Amino acid sequence: MTEHNTNVMQSEPEDVTFIDIVWGQFKKNRMAYAAMWLVVILFLLAVYAPLIASERPFIWQDAEGTYFPWFSSLFDHNYYENGVDKFFNLLLILGTPLFVVWWLMLRAAQKSGMEKRLRRQKIRKFSFVMIIGFLVVFLGVILTQSGQVNRHNFETYEEAKAAGKAVSAIFPPIAYNYSKQSLEEKLQQPNAKHIMGTDRKGRDVAVRILFGTRISLSVGVIAVGIYVTIGIFLGAFAGFFRGRVDMLIQRVIEIFMSVPTLIVLLVMISFIEKPSIFHIMVVIGLFRWTGVARLVRGEFYRLRNLDFVTSAIALGYSNRRIIFQHILPNALGPVLVAATFGVAAAILLESSLSFLGLGDISVPSWGQTLSAGYKTGEWYLILIPGIAIFITVTLLNLIGEGLRDALDPKMRK
Amino acid sequence: MFVYAIKRILLMVPTLFAVSLLIFILLNVSAGDPGAQQAAGDGSQDAQKGDSRESYRIFKEQFNLDKPILFNTRYNLGGSDVEAAIGDILNEDGSVSLTRQIEAQNNMDDWGSYAVPGLLHCLRNCAKDTAKAKASQRLAINGQAKLLTGYIDGKVSKEEAARQKAENKTIRKANAELGAWSYQAFDLTAELEALSKKSPGLDAAASKVAVEARKAAHAERVAAVEKFWASWWEENQTRWEYTSGEKVGIFFLDTRFAKYWSNLLRLDFGKSHLDKKPVLETVLSKLKYSITLAVSSVFLIYFISLPLGIWSAVKQGTVADQLVTFVLFMLYSLPSFFVAVILLNLFTVGDWAVFPNIGFQSDNADQMTTLQYVKDVLWHVCLPIACMSYGGLAALSRYARTGLLDVIRSDYIRTARAKVLPEGVVIIKHAARNGMIPIITLMATLLPALIGGSVIIEVIFGIPGMGSYMFSSILQYDYNAVMVVLLISSFLTLVGMLLADLSYALVDPRITFD
Repeated sequence: MTEHNTNVMQSEPEDVTFIDIVWGQFKKNRMAYAAMWLVVILFLLAVYAPLIASERPFIWQDAEGTYFPWFSSLFDHNYYENGVDKFFNLLLILGTPLFVVWWLMLRAAQKSGMEKRLRRQKIRKFSFVMIIGFLVVFLGVILTQSGQVNRHNFETYEEAKAAGKAVSAIFPPIAYNYSKQSLEEKLQQPNAKHIMGTDRKGRDVAVRILFGTRISLSVGVIAVGIYVTIGIFLGAFAGFFRGRVDMLIQRVIEIFMSVPTLIVLLVMISFIEKPSIFHIMVVIGLFRWTGVARLVRGEFYRLRNLDFVTSAIALGYSNRRIIFQHILPNALGPVLVAATFGVAAAILLESSLSFLGLGDISVPSWGQTLSAGYKTGEWYLILIPGIAIFITVTLLNLIGEGLRDALDPKMRK
Repeated sequence: MFVYAIKRILLMVPTLFAVSLLIFILLNVSAGDPGAQQAAGDGSQDAQKGDSRESYRIFKEQFNLDKPILFNTRYNLGGSDVEAAIGDILNEDGSVSLTRQIEAQNNMDDWGSYAVPGLLHCLRNCAKDTAKAKASQRLAINGQAKLLTGYIDGKVSKEEAARQKAENKTIRKANAELGAWSYQAFDLTAELEALSKKSPGLDAAASKVAVEARKAAHAERVAAVEKFWASWWEENQTRWEYTSGEKVGIFFLDTRFAKYWSNLLRLDFGKSHLDKKPVLETVLSKLKYSITLAVSSVFLIYFISLPLGIWSAVKQGTVADQLVTFVLFMLYSLPSFFVAVILLNLFTVGDWAVFPNIGFQSDNADQMTTLQYVKDVLWHVCLPIACMSYGGLAALSRYARTGLLDVIRSDYIRTARAKVLPEGVVIIKHAARNGMIPIITLMATLLPALIGGSVIIEVIFGIPGMGSYMFSSILQYDYNAVMVVLLISSFLTLVGMLLADLSYALVDPRITFD
């Protein structure tokens, strides 16, 4: 990898990094490239879900005045109960302008004619500050859960009209909440009012599928984030220090590998008194790191003997610097591939869990809806969530394959 | 090679020990208290009271749930700890939350006889009458000696059993006597009420005298109880005097984990608290269903995927190859429970109901001839096996294809072709043999994966195998059953990994472990 890098550097005036090469290679794989954009669209759907479906109107005007219930609902503890929704709502409100600012910065930097390397550094710094800032605000939102109760009782538009009230309101296209049950409307086939029908408790399936995107994506990303972190650390230590450290970590890996993840997940989640979606993420994260650790360990074994590491050691750099700044960046390729496949696997695990009825029942997980389909035998309840899971998993696997091929020097044309 | 295998098998023992430790800790930490959930599951909201409380305590004792998980430090349980717990239980000023109150109650139960010195200390030194009374009541329970249980398994000789039974009789008698030596706290208002009920119209002075008399009687009773316990302590003190060796023993051995492991060494995995049968027996009887499914899935997977992978590698780049690759990729990403639900709804109900609904065999299986029985079972397992195998089939075919493609580019294949060998010989004899090495070793990892993944399939298709047993045990908090299934699947995985490594060396002479 490094050799390749230097060759290119000599032949071209502007430095082309390894990432540029991989990215160019990835783009050539049209299926994977399309899949990547489709996942971006899925992510955007997850972020902007409240714009599409919310029980609260954007604007509500009646005799008492004008209200904007949709905005106040976004961080209302009673309306969006779990942290996942709050995170995505914050992305919707704060992330959108931040992204626009970031984009403008990028454009400005590109036009400024700055040297490419410096430009990258600057952008990296700026993005880092932005992400940290965002997370700080998110923590603030979580910690200061105001739990405000809406003074105003917003009936649905139809009800208010039927009561003969003089109200005007603008609702999102689907005016339902994913957790609102109505027993009169249970198990309705897809119709004009509920475009994907309703489940056994009369909840609108379309809204549940839409908000389920949030759950699936966040379970995948966070669980994988946890285990990639653990795996990188342990794998790096084992591969770098070798000897006893390696022996010890190898044994730990063996122990964790021999425990079947799905079964442990089932057991732990059902034994935890009130399992939340975060428990599921953490348990997946704690039991799936072995693959990444082995990958990283192998890469470290290979890279450790290369000249650039020897020279870094000769220069007297600290172990930390050698591990994280010199070797690790070169070992991340396979990890990225494994992580992409891992996100798909984590989504599957979570949906199997909620399919069995053991997950967090307060979140609109796809597996839960599918389980309703299994119990009732209704085709729309089986196919809609099943296809949602299938599409997401397929897209992620496609990206993973594309990345693997792009990182493989043998496949380069 | 042989030495390597032996080494690995020996290494499996500590690994299994660590796995059991890991699972044990996770279960106990996440469970909070499986016994409490079981007791709550019995429909007793007031598990804190009376009979259900007592049966809960016995239940906990039976399954060692009253012991600490890993380390036992109860030998130095002091008076202050016990006093604090009693204060929490009594909750006289109402400042203690309900959960803490229950926790203190549970602690007091769990401590058992370890709390006796502390309780005696409280009986002597506590300031409040209520606390002293509570201490006396707890002493009457916690001070009781344990009954001998060795004879229950029927493994001891008859004389020994008779001796133990006789000894139990005396222990029971002594315990019953201890139960009598406690008292209720003196409650002035209750006394006054009882008095006014007994003889209404009593004037204030007379009632004061009566109450004073009651008080005196109470004090006498307290003194008697205290004296009894003091003399009892003199007699039985030695039970609570631990040498440092004993302390170490208690620290490590009088714990849930140690008890569980000492049973494991005797291959005793405990009993299910649902049907009171040994869990290992139940699991082994269920294993045949799971093994049938897993093994036939593995066969099916190899039977189809190897030729398919080789075929599409040979046809690399053609439309047929692309189509097969695409379809396999789709299958690879299809969640198995989704497919299972679809198949269940398509082929077991409605117009296309060609397969039986659920289960492993028909109800009248025992009246069939062998041939009929095999046919019946095959008919039942068709859909489950299809669901279990398509994913592995897709994955393996893709591996087989890339494996062969890797090899086909190498020089020795070119040499073989240059010798004008027939293409079939080149592919099958030269290329496939080398290209399939990684595939064969995958078998070892496939088997445990199938056992783990079969939980959902077994639940959906109602097959009474290990997976669905596991699932129902989880739902019912059947602690020992869950442990044994987890241990067995971990063991199978370990064996699988070992087989994978060994088969590498067996298949490929270039790899040695020496």
